[in-house]
Amino acid sequence: MSIYKSAVGKPITTFMVFTAIIVMGLYSLSKMPIDLYPEMDPPYISVVTTYPGASASDIETNVTKILEDALNNVDKLKEITSTTSDNLSLIVLEFDWETDLVEATAEIRDAIDRVYTYLPEDVDQPTIFKFSTSMMPIVFYALTADESFPGIEKILDEKVINRLNRIEGVAQVAMMGQPKRMVYVDVDPNRLEAYNLTLEQLAGTISSENLNMPSGSIKMGLMDYQLRVQGEFDESVELKDLVVGNYGGNPVFLSDVASVKDTLKDKTLDEKVNGTDGLRFFVMKQSGANTVKVARQVQEEVKKLQSDLPSDVKISLIMDTSDFIKSSISNLSETLMYAFLFVILVVLVFLGRWRATFIIVLTIPISLIVSFIYLYMDGGSINVISLTSLSIAIGMVVDDAIVVLENITRHIERGSRPREAAIYATNEVWQSVIITTLVVVAVFFPLTLVGGMTGVMFNQLGWIVTITIITSTIAAITLTPMMSALFLRLRPRTVKGTFYERVFERNLNRLDNFYERSLRFALRFKWSVVIGALVIFILSISLMQFVGTDFMPQTDESRITIAGELQTGTRVEETMAVARKIEKIIREEYPEVVAMASSAGADDEGGMFSLFQESGSNIFNIMCRLNFPRDREKDVWTIAGELRERLAQFPELVTYNFETTGGFGGTSNTVDVEIYGYDFNTTNKVAEQIKKAISAVPEAVDVKLSRDPDKPELQVKLDKQKLAVHGLTTAQAAAQVRNRVYGLTASLFREEGDEYDIRLRLEEDYRNSLSDLEQITLVTAQGNKIKLSEVSKVVEYYGPPSIQHKKRERVLTVSAKPEKVSLGELAEKIELIMKDVDVPNEVMISMGGAYKEQQESFADLGLLMMVSLLLVFIVMASQFESFRMPFVIMFSIPFAFTGVILALFLTNTTLSVVAGLGAVLLIGIVVKNGIVLVDFTNLLRDRDVPLNEAIVAAGKSRLRPVLMTALTTILGMVPLALSTGEGSEIWRPMGVSVIGGLIFSTVITMVLIPTMYGIFIKKGETFKRKQLHAQMEGVLSNQISEQSK
Amino acid sequence: MKSVFITFNQAFTERIEFIFEKLEIKGFTRWVDVQGAGSVTGEPRNGTHTWPEMNSAIITVIPDEKVKPLLQYIKALDEINLEVGIRAFVWDITEAY
Repeated sequence: MSIYKSAVGKPITTFMVFTAIIVMGLYSLSKMPIDLYPEMDPPYISVVTTYPGASASDIETNVTKILEDALNNVDKLKEITSTTSDNLSLIVLEFDWETDLVEATAEIRDAIDRVYTYLPEDVDQPTIFKFSTSMMPIVFYALTADESFPGIEKILDEKVINRLNRIEGVAQVAMMGQPKRMVYVDVDPNRLEAYNLTLEQLAGTISSENLNMPSGSIKMGLMDYQLRVQGEFDESVELKDLVVGNYGGNPVFLSDVASVKDTLKDKTLDEKVNGTDGLRFFVMKQSGANTVKVARQVQEEVKKLQSDLPSDVKISLIMDTSDFIKSSISNLSETLMYAFLFVILVVLVFLGRWRATFIIVLTIPISLIVSFIYLYMDGGSINVISLTSLSIAIGMVVDDAIVVLENITRHIERGSRPREAAIYATNEVWQSVIITTLVVVAVFFPLTLVGGMTGVMFNQLGWIVTITIITSTIAAITLTPMMSALFLRLRPRTVKGTFYERVFERNLNRLDNFYERSLRFALRFKWSVVIGALVIFILSISLMQFVGTDFMPQTDESRITIAGELQTGTRVEETMAVARKIEKIIREEYPEVVAMASSAGADDEGGMFSLFQESGSNIFNIMCRLNFPRDREKDVWTIAGELRERLAQFPELVTYNFETTGGFGGTSNTVDVEIYGYDFNTTNKVAEQIKKAISAVPEAVDVKLSRDPDKPELQVKLDKQKLAVHGLTTAQAAAQVRNRVYGLTASLFREEGDEYDIRLRLEEDYRNSLSDLEQITLVTAQGNKIKLSEVSKVVEYYGPPSIQHKKRERVLTVSAKPEKVSLGELAEKIELIMKDVDVPNEVMISMGGAYKEQQESFADLGLLMMVSLLLVFIVMASQFESFRMPFVIMFSIPFAFTGVILALFLTNTTLSVVAGLGAVLLIGIVVKNGIVLVDFTNLLRDRDVPLNEAIVAAGKSRLRPVLMTALTTILGMVPLALSTGEGSEIWRPMGVSVIGGLIFSTVITMVLIPTMYGIFIKKGETFKRKQLHAQMEGVLSNQISEQSK
Repeated sequence: MKSVFITFNQAFTERIEFIFEKLEIKGFTRWVDVQGAGSVTGEPRNGTHTWPEMNSAIITVIPDEKVKPLLQYIKALDEINLEVGIRAFVWDITEAY
């Protein structure tokens, strides 16, 4: 009992099986998360080590180098880079794709443990964390307030952060620029000395006064009372009246020697939202959680909690990364629906029958839905890649059903009953249907084996197309015959002809006849056709040099982030002023910017965000959200370009950098020149030279050096002998200097369950010049007071703020972004320039950045094409049992690329990985059409039809199916190629390349393959049979003649 | 008693069954999936890629009076569409057990 016979015999079972599949698919679909791309977690692990108080170069030799050497042997490590700055060493390990990070983490921990004892004593245990794109904040909010601003930290903490943290999938909610309450005790050193007190004594008094102590219990009568000594301050003003000493019999109050301020912490980070005071908070999702879902829940929660906040507190959305994802996906789903409609229309026009169209079209949702089951089980998501894969597959899934249905129709028209026709007609074609499916699988299955970043995208395409095509074949040999048996009827021919017959069929017949004539013509001038095709191919290859290459198309995500840098060491106030001016320009000249948040300076407590953004008192950051692309005339790049020109007019800006994507990791778009060398001065000089040369290239923008210019420092050089005379050690002296300048946290002031630091320090007037510093009083072991200048010298000094390593060597990177040209073109230009740069012997230079990634993935793609082609050849050679026939078919593949190149050239689109996806698809379609055509020609030759007649008849009979596949796919791609909404930049290149390639390759398939067949396959199976007959004839006639003797 | 040997395109299977039922022919022997070709216009039925269709064959031994209606039906069936193909051949049965 064959599968199609059972299917026809048991229509209810068949129907139920497919219903079950659809239900499972729809369930998967409803559970599936939405995302922009498949999960492309870059396999990065960072090792962060702090060494408080050590300078960058100290840490480099004592920590970073030792750790790097130890970590270098970790399995599957691709590259090791590090940044060493004051107090901190950050080592980033990049792994090969698909590395198990859990395993790698364990290995890293072992490696660190082995060398930990060799590290200096004060080094903290290195922390390891897995860094991935999903750690990028997904929602940014701005919060503004008027009168509640000073107390906002508490309000936020209780009413916002806690509530948002409870949402499933939220990893962390972090704030930037929140005001922090602090009780400052600013000490006047002169008065202190006059009363013979020290700062440390004050701190001791405060901490011993601010105290609650449980003191046992007392039994009185029937009761047992707990006894407590209650000394803690209720109000911060109490500090003022604290007696800190005794002078001449009179008490000395704290207010006599210091001013007490219960205030906000000194600002080192300034945060403005749309130009007014505010702060930013952002939500990070857990790795693996779904961006869209988490963002939606966060938005809902924020809406709810707004009513619980004081009326002057306003929360506004700066950026929601899920917006772009949602609108991209809905745009793409819409184009997919159009593709579906077009397929139905095409099938209807070609078949001209409602029932047949319905039966065929039914295979589309079934095949597509099965891929949802796969995605769901694989933990995948609905994303741009999976949806474009579906739109690729949509035109191909109907092919098998059409072949089966046409044969069934033929049987019915010959008078068979639908039921029998369904069984026997399917029996006749099921094998060839499966073989053509195998060919398509041979093209797409190798995609599932690609590694690397491209692999993440291509794997999904490979699996989805493979699965949908296989499903469509199964449906074609079960569901299609079953439905045909139930619904197809013999249709009597009317004399006048139906509307369809008069309009479409007549034109289709005309097309058939036109094609027949052209084919006969081509067969007469076979060699001219082949040579002509070759000429066109070579011409198109020469056009290739005008087509640019990109890794991933840049997308207009409606956001611009400007990072600007002033002279190193600039005060935060100066930086703020510049940021204000730029904000003003944006506000006044760009109505497209709907929200804006900026920060200047650095939060000295670090915080999560410092991992994502460079910060420093001289650095500012402006984040702008624009309105939707369809509502504005300028795209983000134009706006960024204009702003860039405006920023050039600020002389105080050292560098500035524009970022238009939220992308992190692989999606950066820079060409990097890496300069390796130990000596800072030599590499700096080379870097400056290269930077100057690159800046001269008009297409290069945002040219940046990775190494910051040396930072001015004040160093207190202690004279150890003099210190010893006073009985002090370096540590004691250093601690005293720190207490007086940075401050000493004496105690904690508690109010309503929250704790605030009480910090003692010198009043600002006594610690803001060199001479003030020298006048700082130190207390010796004997209680004597000496000035800092007696035991030390304060000198000014320049040091590198950070040292970067790559492959365990010092490196300095010059990076540039392309403007109006593709990444590949810029890289070529820069490479050309590099030839003229004078490089000293000890310095090594290499190219890197996104350009390198791009080359790697193109190399991957190239290899993949080779594997695909080889597999296709293997399948075809064994199917035809011939080496020539695969050659005839494969000869036409390069011409598909001619169409791709032409289309890219004409529409001025760059060749990106996504356009490459389209090219792979073309191989599939060309080969499939070629096989069916050659196979049918072979069949006719076997039936003793003469060569040219067989070629023409086969071509004519295959014209409509080939046109159908081509038209369904092309029409399915038209919405993709024409769409202009969010995210369309990603899939537009694919639409363009597939349309161009398919138009061209359809013509090639229908003309060149028959011509090649005519040239190469003169002898068919008939010839072999005749040879065999001749042989046997010889043997037998010999035998007979001997008998007759 | 005569025997009728019918070879036919598989697609006729159900109709043959119908005719047998209608003429109340109970006994028969059938070969499913047999190969062959017609002598005049019939295409080969080989079940191969080139000639994918297949025939079946049936032989039945029936009283003389049923032979004529049977052949009539078969001719009618053939005339629906000559491409499908069906032929019947009649032998005399001299003895039977």
